[in-house]
Order: sequence, then structure tokens, then C-alpha cells
Amino acid sequence: MKSEILYPGAFPMVRVELTAGETIKAESGAMVGASPTIDVESKMEGGFLGALSRKLLTGEKFFFQTLRASRGPGEVLLAPTVPGEIVIMELDGVNEYMVQKDGFLAGAESVKIESRMQSLSRGLLGGEGFFILKIGGTGPLILNSFGAIHKIDLKPDQEYIVDNSHLVAWSATTSYNIEKAASGWVASFTSGEGFVCRFRGPGVVYIQTRNPGGFGNWIRQFIPVSE
Amino acid sequence: MTSIPNALCFGQEFPATGAPCFVEVTATGLAIRFVGASDEDKVESVSFSSLTVSAGGFDHDQLVVKWVADRSERTLYLRESGLIRAFRQAAPPELTKPLEHTVEQVRRVRHRRRTALLVTGGVLAGLLLALWFGSDTLVEMAVARIPVEWEQKIGESAEKEFLAGQTVIHEGPAVTAVQEITSRLTDRLQDKPYKFHVTVVKSDVVNAFALPGGYVVVFTGLLTKAEGPEEVAGVLGHELNHVLKRHGLERIMKTLGLVAVVTILIGDQQGLIGLAKELGVELLTLKFGREQETEADVEGLKLLHRAKIPPDGMIRFFERLSEQEGGRVEWLSTHPMSAGRAARLKAEAAALSKQAPEPFTFDWQKIHESLGAAQLPAAKAE
Repeated sequence: MKSEILYPGAFPMVRVELTAGETIKAESGAMVGASPTIDVESKMEGGFLGALSRKLLTGEKFFFQTLRASRGPGEVLLAPTVPGEIVIMELDGVNEYMVQKDGFLAGAESVKIESRMQSLSRGLLGGEGFFILKIGGTGPLILNSFGAIHKIDLKPDQEYIVDNSHLVAWSATTSYNIEKAASGWVASFTSGEGFVCRFRGPGVVYIQTRNPGGFGNWIRQFIPVSE
Repeated sequence: MTSIPNALCFGQEFPATGAPCFVEVTATGLAIRFVGASDEDKVESVSFSSLTVSAGGFDHDQLVVKWVADRSERTLYLRESGLIRAFRQAAPPELTKPLEHTVEQVRRVRHRRRTALLVTGGVLAGLLLALWFGSDTLVEMAVARIPVEWEQKIGESAEKEFLAGQTVIHEGPAVTAVQEITSRLTDRLQDKPYKFHVTVVKSDVVNAFALPGGYVVVFTGLLTKAEGPEEVAGVLGHELNHVLKRHGLERIMKTLGLVAVVTILIGDQQGLIGLAKELGVELLTLKFGREQETEADVEGLKLLHRAKIPPDGMIRFFERLSEQEGGRVEWLSTHPMSAGRAARLKAEAAALSKQAPEPFTFDWQKIHESLGAAQLPAAKAE
């Protein structure tokens, strides 16, 4: 499986080349185009209950689609719903990533995806909800973001503070605590930051340069109210 | 070896994602072989004595082993349960204590997490139940904050909408009589936040209703059915108390939902009029709850007493209604059963002091006749 990012920037697309018999799983609705040798199958990753819990808990789509090159080699074009950058990561089997629910675009068949429950404070205040995806296994993993993706490297015990709504993915070796942005409650919210995540290395943190919730609030003012 | 590495090693000289490596537990410590290193067969050995252990990672499920090598600190993240078990078994006694401590820590974190989620679930369920059963109190609090003028605006627009499709009787003996009965009652009110408007509408429905803000509508069907002005006074006393106790508003608030209630409690009351206007006609079909009906009954009876109108009329009216119950009379669908109401009113009336009634100035027979001329044939036959 070979993948390349087309039109890097705000409106990218991924082209994935599959050899005969190879499969890729993608977020449902992500396929833009495919060779006629590719079959689209809907698959409930992790079985019915797994899919149901993913749908109910993380808000992820119930089905992932599986694209299989069943009649010979071919290519698939994939794109996310929101404008923003795409990154391709090669999973080595030992690095695992926690991914917020909208971050997953596609992954090789050998990539393992499970829903994970967060702790109470992270779930309530972290901005990703109570459930996030834990992605491991081997092979290419394709993530998408809202805006561009910025990578932050953390050495052991190195700390970094991130606004919670800008998170895309982070290594399972990192941990974070939820904190108020400023020392006082009022200052925290008047600063517009509210809660932030204090990450502690080692590992990497991928953040998106735009905040989907903030964008939603901003755009709402321009939507005409229906009669 | 082509298998997948089982650990990640971190340190100043490694990338942030860590260096994948193969870790084996030996009799003396750990043997670490890095993947992709130029001298791939080179194995680094670390003795147990130089290691410190703790729990780490996002889920607190990884064993973190630290040591100092060549003056720089190295951190190893182990997450395979088989490897961790082997490590625990091979570890010398001086490491056993920190290891058990780590295991205990992980257990505590998991336990705390589970407890916290259970508690939150419980609290949420409790809140939902409280909202479900305590919403009456919330509604009352919200209603108490709505100014009377707004209530009047709501009532006025709703009445206008209703009257548009009806024949209003503007003058005549019936109107004068209804006005006299109303003012006899309203004169006895202790505080008068509302200016009552009573409208007589030609219809053979045996009913009268009250809209928020003091807009009362009486159907001629009620007047022809009533055997005396005391009965009409009883119904009016009941309806006026729906207004005074702001029952209509309470029902609207319940219809608009909790969101509206909360909005008003917080202080944003502007949107309410708009919402209520949207409801418009729906407002008219609002049914009062059983408790509200009983309250209006009892308060209505007391008002009759203060106005020196004999309460027997009100009781008799309910008794007659109870005889007819069974779907023919439209107005009682959500009211308590009339027989029960009459019985309750009798008990309440018995507790009131005896007094000489003050008669009305009009002749009820004449009013009946004046309406009878305008009455529909079907109603006449009854």
C-alpha cells in the first residue's frame, strides 16, 4: 500500500494505491473516487457492539468502509469532510496514538482501532468527550485536522500546554492534566481559553491550527434564522 | 528477527516518538536491542540495580523504567503484559517494593476512575429525576418572575386570535348580567394585579375559560345551561382563580419546556412573548392540571363566599355536570370528575361561616329568554 497526499494545504486529498487483494479502512463517506477494481464494503470494526459503542460513545461513524482491491490492483481517492491538512503516519506496532473522534480518516487493514474511555475530568473538560480512539498496530495511518497540523515533540518529562479544542492526536506514552488557563476562574474564561491540557512527555502531540467549535460559533452569527 | 518491537526507549538522543526496541528480561536485568541501528546485533544490558520503576502513559497502563546511561537519562516504556509479568518475576527484592507500589497505584487510579464515572452517572440520573419531579417548583419560580404586563400582552393577543373566528355579543341583558357577576367577584379580591375583561361569545358549548392576564371568555351555552346566576358565578370564580394563580402561565411554561424556564430564571425574558405569540391558538387549548383545577375550585368557592354569593350554585352545577359525564359535555376532559369536585366543594362550603346572601339585581329568567331567542334549535331541544 502506497499513499500520497495530493493538493497539500487546506483542501487536500489522499491517493492510496492498493495491490491486488489489499484493503484499507476509511471513515465512511471519505471515498472520493476509486478504480473499478476496488470494492467498497461496510464493516463494523470491532463487531456490532464495538461499532455501536463507537457510534454512541465517540460519535464516530457506525461503519467504517473497507475498500478492497478484490479484482486486481487499483487506487482510491479519500478526502475528509472539513477543510484542513492530512498527515500520513507509519505505525510501527509499538507506538500507539490517542486520536480525538474526528481525527481518523483512514488506515491500513493492520491498523487497530478501539474506543477508549477517558477519565472523568478529561471527559468533562478536555473537549474531546468521554471517548476517544486508541489506534495502534502497524502500517499507514491517515489523520485529518481542521486547519493545518502542527507536531509538538516532547522529551521525557517535558511539558507543554495546549488548548483542549485544538487536539488531534497524541502518543499513548504522553499523559495530560486538565487545568484552568489562568490562575483564577474568572481570568480563565475571560481570557477565552477556559481549560487547557498540560501534556507531559515523552511522545508527540499533534494539534490543529483551527478550533472547530470556535469556528462553529463564529459562523453561526451569519446563518439566517429561518422563519 | 522480523517481529514487532515490544518497547519504546526515550532519551535525549532519540526522536520524540521514541526508539522502538526489543526488550528481554534476563537474570540480571534487561537486554535491549534497538531496531534499525547500524550494529543491529548490539545488545545493551542494564542491571536491575540501576533501574527505577513507575507507572505511566495516557491510560496509566505502561511500566516506565528509568536509568542513567552514559550520563544521559533513558526511559523505557513497556506495555506488553507478558513482558511486565516477566519483569516482575525476575526483579530482585529491592525492586519488588517499588513495583508493588506501582501496581497498587495503577489499581487505585483505575478504581478512582470507575468510582468517579459511577458517581457522575448517579448524579446525572439524580438530576434528571429531580428535574422530572421538581419541574413544578422550577416552573413556579420562573412564572413568579414574569411581569403582569407581559402576561396581559400574551393574553390579549391570544384572545384576539380566538375571537376573530367567533360571534361576540357586545350588549344586551346577558352581557350586563355577566359583567355584574364578574364585578361582584372582582370587587372582593384582596389584591388586584389584573384588570379583568369578560367577553360573552355566542356558542352552545357549556364552558368558560380564562387566559393569562385576566381575559375571560364566557360562552352563551353556559348561561343557558345554568339554572341561576350563582352557578355562573361559581364557574367564573373558578376561572378568575386560574388567572390569579397564574395557572395559564404555568401551563405555557411547561409547554415551552424547561429551556424557557431556565432562560427566564437567568433573566432573558424578552424571548418569551415571541414564543408565546407563536403558540397563539395552542394557548387556548391548554388544559389545566388536576391540581390547578382543584386549587381554582377551592379558591373560587372562597371568593364566592366573600362576595356573598351562595356557594350552592357552584356545587349544584358540578352535580348536574356529573350526571351528564360520559363525553357529551366537552369541557371536562381534564377536569377532576365532577362528582368528586362537588363533594369536595360541599365539604369546603360546610366549613365556611353562614351569612345572608346578597341577591343580584337582574332577573335570570329574562336573561334566559333573551338568549333563548338567539339559541340554536339543537340547544333549545335540551
